[in-house]
Amino acid sequence: MRIYILIFLCLWLKLEKTRVATLDICTNKTPSILTTEAVNRPFLYPVSKTYFRSRTSARVKMKRSKGGGDEEAPRQNGSASRRKADQQQSDGDEGGSDIGPADLQDDDNDQGLRREIRSKYRDLISSVQQNREDMLSPSNNKLTEVLEEANKLFKDVRQAREAALDAQLLVVATDLGKEKASQLFSEGTAFDPTAFAEHLLSFMGLNRLEDDEDEQQTTANGYLPQDAWHRLARRAECCFRTAPSFHYMMGSFYAEPPPPKQRIERQRKAPSKEAKRIMPTQLKKMEESQQEATEKEVERILGYLKSYYQDDPTSPISYYEFVIDPSSFSRTVENIFHTSFLIRDGLARMYLDEEKLPCIAPVEEGEVEAGGSTSRKQCILSISPKIWKELIDAFEIRDSIIRPPNTQND
Amino acid sequence: MTQRKRPSSTQSSSQRRHTGNLVAQDEDDDVAFTQPSTSQVQRGLEKLTPAQVDQKTAEVVQYFLVKDQKKMPVRRADLVKHVVKDYRNIYPEILKRAARTFDQVFGLKLVEIDPKNKMYILVNNLETPDKASPIRSPSNPKMGLLLAILSVIFMKGGVVRENLIWNTLKKLRVDPGEKHEEFGDVRKMVTDEFVRQRYLEYVRIPHTEPIEHEFRWGQRADAEVSKAKILEFMGELHEQDPKTWTQQYREAHSLPNSSQASTSSSSSSQR
Repeated sequence: MRIYILIFLCLWLKLEKTRVATLDICTNKTPSILTTEAVNRPFLYPVSKTYFRSRTSARVKMKRSKGGGDEEAPRQNGSASRRKADQQQSDGDEGGSDIGPADLQDDDNDQGLRREIRSKYRDLISSVQQNREDMLSPSNNKLTEVLEEANKLFKDVRQAREAALDAQLLVVATDLGKEKASQLFSEGTAFDPTAFAEHLLSFMGLNRLEDDEDEQQTTANGYLPQDAWHRLARRAECCFRTAPSFHYMMGSFYAEPPPPKQRIERQRKAPSKEAKRIMPTQLKKMEESQQEATEKEVERILGYLKSYYQDDPTSPISYYEFVIDPSSFSRTVENIFHTSFLIRDGLARMYLDEEKLPCIAPVEEGEVEAGGSTSRKQCILSISPKIWKELIDAFEIRDSIIRPPNTQND
Repeated sequence: MTQRKRPSSTQSSSQRRHTGNLVAQDEDDDVAFTQPSTSQVQRGLEKLTPAQVDQKTAEVVQYFLVKDQKKMPVRRADLVKHVVKDYRNIYPEILKRAARTFDQVFGLKLVEIDPKNKMYILVNNLETPDKASPIRSPSNPKMGLLLAILSVIFMKGGVVRENLIWNTLKKLRVDPGEKHEEFGDVRKMVTDEFVRQRYLEYVRIPHTEPIEHEFRWGQRADAEVSKAKILEFMGELHEQDPKTWTQQYREAHSLPNSSQASTSSSSSSQR
């Protein structure tokens, strides 16, 4: 078959010269002629001749110039066509004058016929383009049928416009023909991509599901393991001679860290300063309040003591009755604490009465002795909630002598 | 085949046939750079100290190695503009020395894949192992996908419509329309990344409506990939003898792998 193609190639090349000129107008490349159809269809040769001749005559006609006899005679030979409208065979007799009475009469029919021809050509072209896959399959001769149709149509072609469409169709058809030929060429050794894909999947370790072994199933059954493509890549390393790429072992270094560090330092400094600023004011307030509170409290208790003593200077004030607050243990402790200041400063004194119970009494200003410090004694007082309750029960304390302060220092 | 010694710099301007594939002197259409003549090179060398030339050679080697990380080919124009700069008058000498360094130090080969545009790639000069390498280095799954595509193209004669590739990939659970968990945008990877790396060629088929493309082997694939090994792999997969695919077998074993020119489907010249 190859030999046929070669022979036909030589023949065709001779004829191609005539065709190339016209087809080049429509396309930029000369179509390849490796078509199986071409071998069996020598009548493409007359097609080319008539094509060329009709085209030149069409040009002549369009230019409305009186042509020589040369163009007329071949035209008569080539155009063995049957026209549905009035015959134009009279053209040959008129020696190339295109504006003949016959032409004017045929004008309307011409237009209709031409439109019809053009639309048929366009249909053929679109059918070739749309059904490309179909026509490529070697099992049918659809491409041949299309070309035969084109030949039939071509017999009626007179003008350049239809001829151009014909040329376009031929270009598309020959492209397809080239593909068909290449298909034939490589189909000697069968390779099926579908089977290849299946084998590859098995190679990559596809786990096929055991239950549904439906071969007709288009959806995937089974799943690929994670390293499926890595397995294939590893196998690919044997076939490839890729240069191993070069990377720094420790990675590259980025020049970005310094700016963030500065920002962090500044941020840290800022809050610390603010904190310091905040601290002193708070502390001052605290200390003042504490000092004030204690002093005030001590004075207040002294006031209570004195007033209580002045009510009845003769009866002794029981210490416990004085300090204990039956409603609050913590305030009792505070009272004891504040009272101790009084005693420390020598503003009050404690003594034991006949029943050996402690009593407290304010010290008159006159009574303060110069050597008062020598006679001072110290003692530590301890109290617990249990004792506190016992004292409340024993002394039957209902009310606290020392009123709780209005402002709470807790 | 490793070459230990290059022939000493010849005064002739003939094209070298050995592994370097360097073109010693060729007028090119590179606007910014015209290849200096050998006499110019000699004069340039005399003015410079050997240390300077070595330094420049080392820079060229580094440039290539870093560019090779992404497997993008290196253009001569870029090389001259960024690295060689003032030393362009001794450019051929520098390139020759760089190629020698690659060969002797790294076991790599500097290959010119595009004589017209002067693009270079690095290819492994050492023998490929028959089985998978015992070193457990992390493998790139893209290479697996590339192998599948190149195999299909090769077995189908060297040119394949893009639809065939997409359909085959779909059967392999890689859908170009969807985002794949390992490869991401598959279509972009195949038609853009692989093409820029010169593993594949993606050309438009003329006169098609809607526009279709076809895939061929790229220049890098021609230099790097061994067709014989692919055929072996096919034989393993299909459990057939590689020789059953006579056409492909002939194509794989007729030309030496190092300088395999890409062949079109219909006209294989070796027939």
